[in-house]
Amino acid sequence: MTEFTELAIRHVTKSYVVDETPLPVLQDVSLSVLPGEFVSIVGASGCGKSTLLRLIVGLDDVYRGEILLGGTQVSGPGADRGIVFQDHRLFPWLTLTENITLALDAFPLPAEEKAQRVRDAIALVGLSGFERARPAQLSGGMAQRAAIARALVRRPAILLLDEPLGALDSLNRTRLQDALLDIWEAQRTTVIMVTHDVEEAVYLSTRIVVMEPRPGRIRSVIPVELAARDRAAPDFVALKQRVLADLRH
Amino acid sequence: MNVRSVAVDRVVDRFPAVRRIWTARAVGHRLLPLAIPLIVLIAWQCAASLRLLPVQILPPPLLVATTAIDLIRGGEIVDGLRVSLWRIGIGFAIGAGSGLVLGALLGLSRTVEAYCGLTFRLLAQIPSLGWLPILLLIFGLDETLKFVLIAKASFVPTVIATSESVKQIPAPFREVARVLQLPARSYLRRLVLPATIPGIFSGLRTALSHAWIALIVVEMLAATEGVGYTMVWGRTLFQIDIVIVGMVVIGLIGLAMDTGLARIEQRLQHWEARP
Ligand SMILES: Nc1ncnc2c1ncn2[C@@H]1O[C@H](COP(=O)(O)OP(=O)(O)OP(=O)(O)O)[C@@H](O)[C@H]1O
Ligand SMILES: [Mg+2]
Repeated sequence: MTEFTELAIRHVTKSYVVDETPLPVLQDVSLSVLPGEFVSIVGASGCGKSTLLRLIVGLDDVYRGEILLGGTQVSGPGADRGIVFQDHRLFPWLTLTENITLALDAFPLPAEEKAQRVRDAIALVGLSGFERARPAQLSGGMAQRAAIARALVRRPAILLLDEPLGALDSLNRTRLQDALLDIWEAQRTTVIMVTHDVEEAVYLSTRIVVMEPRPGRIRSVIPVELAARDRAAPDFVALKQRVLADLRH
Repeated sequence: MNVRSVAVDRVVDRFPAVRRIWTARAVGHRLLPLAIPLIVLIAWQCAASLRLLPVQILPPPLLVATTAIDLIRGGEIVDGLRVSLWRIGIGFAIGAGSGLVLGALLGLSRTVEAYCGLTFRLLAQIPSLGWLPILLLIFGLDETLKFVLIAKASFVPTVIATSESVKQIPAPFREVARVLQLPARSYLRRLVLPATIPGIFSGLRTALSHAWIALIVVEMLAATEGVGYTMVWGRTLFQIDIVIVGMVVIGLIGLAMDTGLARIEQRLQHWEARP
């Protein structure tokens, strides 16, 4: 695994230019994420959550401010960061194994080790037995898990998840939430996850970032300190209410 | 584990087509494409029997068939075809081959697009036959003339189809490739190639039909052998039956080549064949 590193987002301001007028999307966003944290980002649609993840992963470098990883400015995608997009984005012409192996293509590893890593990643997301299936043969939830495996197989220090469970039914969703927790604990990855589901954020995170729209800013950062991950516990419900109140503000 | 077993079935059941049952209905369905040619043939026979047109202009199907057999026996068809297929083979290989390369470069590189895009689009506007007079002056009636003209005719549609399909590779997939830091080789092999196969192949099929047009026209105007020449020769003899035989031969060979390309495309695109 890549060295644990602190992610520092400092005064990031970003606008898109639409019809020659700048559209402010992020304004003065600052956030520090420590190794091993599970940070959830919640906020109204269009407040720039996906944009923030795209900046962190290095798909877009047109912004003001700094994004530092272990003290160095992020420039372009790197092995230290992995992302799971909201749509799974598996290549339809490749099998599950081929899709995930592709993620190791740039890695100078012996073929045997790559194969082992791919098997491990597939097992971790519970897709053993589907190695030769193509994306069209997987259900939505399975494809999403495959996308998570594709990010995990690179063992990034920071895993970015953009509404990874958004398209799933509630049963699969709860199941995958627990799978995510297992992965997070097993791989000791730092996770930053965008979600629309406040309960999911409270259940999974160590910290919750609430954003407000137009332009996208951080409204509050709420630490999650629960006695247990019990959705019915009074402190769980109270925290959920607090996040919801901040969201509605 | 219900979900799992269903999906495993789906994975294992890879050849449902093999088990297709040959019912009367299925057979009937396969014969449907032949209905229109059959109707045309009957109408043709009727028109000829009723002498709607003089025999010199519309010879009956049977006469055409006899002529066809004669021409095959006499070797005119085979010789003509050998020459024509050679021309189209070389011309198409050069035109489509270089078209693939330029198309890929235009699609992948902004620099190449900036340098060559305009020039290419301008030259592409001039129909292949518009080049004939000047090419005739340069190459005379030489074989090179045919190669160049056919190559040009297949080059343009190939370049357009290739560059367009490269440009239309979905942005989300390109982003995945960037995030995974794919090296150029894998980028081409694992993304560009599979994503562009359908578009490129429809371009190649257009290119092939353009190549045929160029071939026949150049053989009619400036050749002493080949299928197109055989047709002109028939016309000067006032033997329209020879012309019709030429048309049928062109149609059948063209269809065979088009089907061949479609087959190759299906092979390369096996991942999409399943529902
Ligand atoms: N490529 C782009 N060009 C112009 N505007 C864009 C572009 N991408 C996003 N935007 C705009 O930026 C704003 C933020 O978009 P973003 O996708 O980051 O929001 P989001 O918080 O992820 O929303 P959602 O919860 O709906 O996914 C939106 O108003 C959107 O219209
Ligand atoms: Mg989004």
